[in-house]
Amino acid sequence: MGAYAIRRLLWLPFLLIIVTFITFTLLRFGPGDPVQVWLGQHQNDEVRQRILDELGLNDPIVVQYVRYIEGVVTRLDFGDSFRFRGKSVAELMAKKIPVSLQLNLAAIIITLGVGIPLGLFAALRQGTGIDNVVVAVALAFQSLPVFITAPVLLLIFALRLDILPTSGWNGFFSPNIVMPAVVMGVPGIAIVVRLVRASVLDVLGQDYIRTARAKGLAERVVRWRHILRNAMIPVVTSFGFTIAGLAGGTFIVEIYFGIPGVGLFTIESLFQRDYPVLMAFAIISTTLFVLANLIVDLMYPLLDPRIRLGAGHVA
Amino acid sequence: MTRKNCAPLLITLLAGLALVALACGGSSPATEDATAASGSADAGSSAASTPAAAAPAGSTPSAAPTAAMSESSAVATQAPPVPTAAIVGGATGAAIDSGCAPSADLTFDNRPPQGGTLVRLFADPTSLDPHQIGDVTSSVVVSEIFGGLVTLGLDYQPALDLAESCAISADGTVYTFVLRDNARFHDGRPVTAQDVKWSIERAADPDTLSTNAQNYLGDIIGVDDKLNGDATEVSGVRVIDARTIEFTIDSPKSYFLAKLSYPTAFVLDRQQVENDSSWLDRPNGTGAFRLGVYEVGELIILERNELYHLGPAHIESVRMILSGGSAMIMYENDEIHLTGVGIDDLPRLLDPNDPLNPQLHRSPQDFDVFYIGLNVAEPPFDDPKVRQALNYAIDLPGIAENVLDGRVSPARGVIPPGFPSYTENLRSYDYNPDLARELIGQSKYAADLESGDFPRITLSISGSFGAAIPAYLEVILEQWNQELDIQVDIQQTEWATFLEDVNDRKYQMYALGWVADYPDPENFLDILFRSDSQNNHNNYANPEVDRLLEMARTERDRETRFQLYNQIEQLILDDAPWVWTWFSGEGYALIKPEVSDYFLLQMSIPKYRYIYFNQ
Amino acid sequence: MSRNRANEPADATPARASIAAESSGGVIPEGILADGHSYWGLSVRRLLRKKLAMLCLSLIILMYGGALLSPLITPYEYTAQDLSQSRAGPSLAHPFGADRLGRDMLTRVIYGLRTTVIITIVSLMGGTLVLGVALGLLSGYMGRWVDSIIMRTGEVTSSFPDIILILIFVAALKPRLVDAVQGFEDATGIDWIIRLGLLDYAIISVALSIFGWFGMARLVRGQVLQARESQYTEAALVMGASTARILRVHILPNILSPLIVSVSAGLAGVAGSELVLSWIGIGVQPPVPSLGRMMFENGSINVIRNEPHLILFPIGTVTLLFFCFNILGDAVNDAFNPRAR
Repeated sequence: MGAYAIRRLLWLPFLLIIVTFITFTLLRFGPGDPVQVWLGQHQNDEVRQRILDELGLNDPIVVQYVRYIEGVVTRLDFGDSFRFRGKSVAELMAKKIPVSLQLNLAAIIITLGVGIPLGLFAALRQGTGIDNVVVAVALAFQSLPVFITAPVLLLIFALRLDILPTSGWNGFFSPNIVMPAVVMGVPGIAIVVRLVRASVLDVLGQDYIRTARAKGLAERVVRWRHILRNAMIPVVTSFGFTIAGLAGGTFIVEIYFGIPGVGLFTIESLFQRDYPVLMAFAIISTTLFVLANLIVDLMYPLLDPRIRLGAGHVA
Repeated sequence: MTRKNCAPLLITLLAGLALVALACGGSSPATEDATAASGSADAGSSAASTPAAAAPAGSTPSAAPTAAMSESSAVATQAPPVPTAAIVGGATGAAIDSGCAPSADLTFDNRPPQGGTLVRLFADPTSLDPHQIGDVTSSVVVSEIFGGLVTLGLDYQPALDLAESCAISADGTVYTFVLRDNARFHDGRPVTAQDVKWSIERAADPDTLSTNAQNYLGDIIGVDDKLNGDATEVSGVRVIDARTIEFTIDSPKSYFLAKLSYPTAFVLDRQQVENDSSWLDRPNGTGAFRLGVYEVGELIILERNELYHLGPAHIESVRMILSGGSAMIMYENDEIHLTGVGIDDLPRLLDPNDPLNPQLHRSPQDFDVFYIGLNVAEPPFDDPKVRQALNYAIDLPGIAENVLDGRVSPARGVIPPGFPSYTENLRSYDYNPDLARELIGQSKYAADLESGDFPRITLSISGSFGAAIPAYLEVILEQWNQELDIQVDIQQTEWATFLEDVNDRKYQMYALGWVADYPDPENFLDILFRSDSQNNHNNYANPEVDRLLEMARTERDRETRFQLYNQIEQLILDDAPWVWTWFSGEGYALIKPEVSDYFLLQMSIPKYRYIYFNQ
Repeated sequence: MSRNRANEPADATPARASIAAESSGGVIPEGILADGHSYWGLSVRRLLRKKLAMLCLSLIILMYGGALLSPLITPYEYTAQDLSQSRAGPSLAHPFGADRLGRDMLTRVIYGLRTTVIITIVSLMGGTLVLGVALGLLSGYMGRWVDSIIMRTGEVTSSFPDIILILIFVAALKPRLVDAVQGFEDATGIDWIIRLGLLDYAIISVALSIFGWFGMARLVRGQVLQARESQYTEAALVMGASTARILRVHILPNILSPLIVSVSAGLAGVAGSELVLSWIGIGVQPPVPSLGRMMFENGSINVIRNEPHLILFPIGTVTLLFFCFNILGDAVNDAFNPRAR
């Protein structure tokens, strides 16, 4: 397993080089450049070329790329933002990432906090009407687009009842986090319910539970020890995906609730052709993706002894 | 001067507005965009403030109008004079070229209550370095923290800021300023003529990467040399003594003082800038407020500068929320003091029975024009008859009334009403479908239209940040289809790509807008229609127009000059290189009743120092 | 754009489902192996017994059919404007009300549904199914360096910040493609490719497919590897079973339910992505209606308070469609994956 992890981690730098190089090249060969965006409708080729020269954006692309990678590798210097002039990318990202991290964490707590008990409940009531209702309701909530849930929640809880603040960010332990976390967390409940339900049913049908029961273990112990352990698999999986999804962007939620997170920031940077920010984003999201997958892969065998790593089928 | 007499005058003076949005990529009138913004995410807020305005105004099409919204429609009191105060000095009518007027300021019978914090939604400035910025959003913040020799007063007149006097030489090319003896930086150090000279030279230094130095300071002799790296100093700026400084410009320019009020000419603290690489975190400016807190994407807090040379502000601080949110709900929830109003909320708020109705204010219209550019080098627009037909075939008043709730006025020319040289005596295009059909029939594409071989037309528009395609465009397209049987496809393109392509004159037909930078018709006509202008996106070239534009540039007499511009405008109208659409109309905003003297201005004029809470 | 916003958990489903399938499946229940048909028969019969699922299936068929036949069943032209009806509420003439330009909302919702349907079908068919299954099979069967190349490429595409890639890709490519197609249209006299939004559909679908195939490919590959290792397959090979039969009997059943689950989840993801592309300004071009565009243009508190029909009908339609797919996916999963019942 250690060898597996090391192999995966050794692959990361290559992956990063490929991803950053493609991103870098695409951004520079793609239409538009940051100076053009600065100038807006007041184009002036003379000014534009002068500034491009100053910023080194007229150098050959390989030179630019090597310079960038050199800065990142040797000095951990991700460059300065083009959009927020005078601010370093590291400084900007350091503010945004914790926000997204915490919001995602809050969302996943809601997803799992509601999803796991519901899934267990549904599994233990398998085949009854309640089972079907639980699953159907969870699926109904999964189907609701954020474009309706966010404004309706705002209308109800912020305006009519006036018990939650409309927007803004005040850290993890503040009421501001409630609505965005709910909007982000609720759609995932259905997935967790389904996975927990399925894996619990799977376990219930297995020999070792029968054995456990036969051995005379109390029903409660059987449930807690074996069932929950199995139910942890979706937990781990969604945790991994949450970390990976961090970078992805929940930008629509961020817009509705005024959350200064990574998602909207990245999209805006894209529109502004803020290359250094986008490169940092590419590096972060790739790294997170690989690490999250690795963690998930490493956790499975701990939870489910039937899975072996490195045998090839869990790529 | 009664209010009534005052109004037209003020409108003329609005011209002073020089620096409105540096650009408005507006593909649609501000009002409509405000709606789009509100539609896109929610309540005109998140969209209005966060994504849109966060873009440098020059950047996103929706950005400029919305940025304008955060500023202008954000809060609308009609014109500066409000019941509690009267303007003294300043507005002596004779207009902008009268030069150095004493600062127009408010006086009160009783000192208004002090203290309190104004809370509003705002967007991230792109930078707080006055010499680098080129967008409204940034300049709103920057002009509260910094200042220059002159500023614009509430009447949009150039007014004295750090300077206590200014004299203009007889030939109009030498400006001599004397600094106030109480002009100090936030840390208490007096501002000297050396500081001013160094600041101008810094702005003109190529290393500063200023996008605006050429535009706003280029009139000063020696700035171009400095920008090109041919000189270390700006020869046109001369220090006479510690408090006296002299500017020499290349030719008399009536709008030079207005340009000098732009942040590009603001004064910075040399010691701080040169010695402290993180000076932007705690800038030592000369403005009415100092920067208390700036968390990117979250919050700006401006704190009152007790040393301010024009008298400290009444309020303690200004809290600008940068992370966005749902403005309307935040307003109704008493979380912010002011907000713009989107088209969906307007009918409700206009109802006199609505509790919020008394808090609704109108904001004066911006100096802008929206249009559909026709590339005259590409078929079918190489035939003026086709272009004219397209103009005749659309019912602008009807669309304004039905689709845009009357919040825009049909553009009947290039120059918006109230702007210098504006005239009503232009032959423009009235809705006349019969004439339109006749013109198409006479055009060289008449046969092609019959046979179905009419050249394909694609309308390019910019979009980003959920900018909807303006509804009015779809109506116009439908009317062309109905009246002329001409089909037009829409292609929406992301803003940076759009910019590149429109600047390369790649588009056959494109929707855009233009907002005045400074109060001179040259800013519309010369920049957009001169055949070799970089902002001429549609290959329009009329030698007669070029010749008259050249004459107007050098003409000294204001009346003659404006007549020349009127003549040019008529020529352009007749050539129809555009399909004219709108001048943006008035906007609406909500202001909490306890906030007094929040002036709705279309420019980033320092204004937070006037505000007070009336209890 | 697989990791966007709220449907991020939904997007995760294929992979998660694959894990569930790998952990529980892999071994095909005894008794079924003897004859593949009975497995199918049993599963389908189990599926047919689920009433809600069947109702949903009919609704999906109805919606897809309606969407594809939209020109025949809609009461108005989707471009037909009537400014006097601007933002009119629901009425007999306009059951879903009218939009800002007085266009019939029912008509526009049906056409918007068509946009969603076409894009989902094309990118799911193209990306998830064809690309994913083919590359997965290739990877599993060939092994060695082919496997490595495909898997590593997949990791690169899936770990990419895909929104950046798609935006630049689409922004850079689209103008050229539009030019090319216009040239083609001019040459052939066809004039509806761009006007009907077909080009937009194609571009969006291709862009999404590039990022959509890997989950499925990985799943298929895993199943192939397992089947290759399993004794049954060896036995079948020894007995001279054809590759096609091995595929059908031993591999297809195992990937079918995750496949359907991933299609139902992918639907939400693809529809969401279409919307994001519209939001960025490179989606389906008006006047061709798109539910995504309708939702984001009207997804504001102002609209919900003042003209709710502008948002409720498009959202209701989308929600119903997603819901049906989710229920169906769930039911199929139950029916075809007996261990999880």
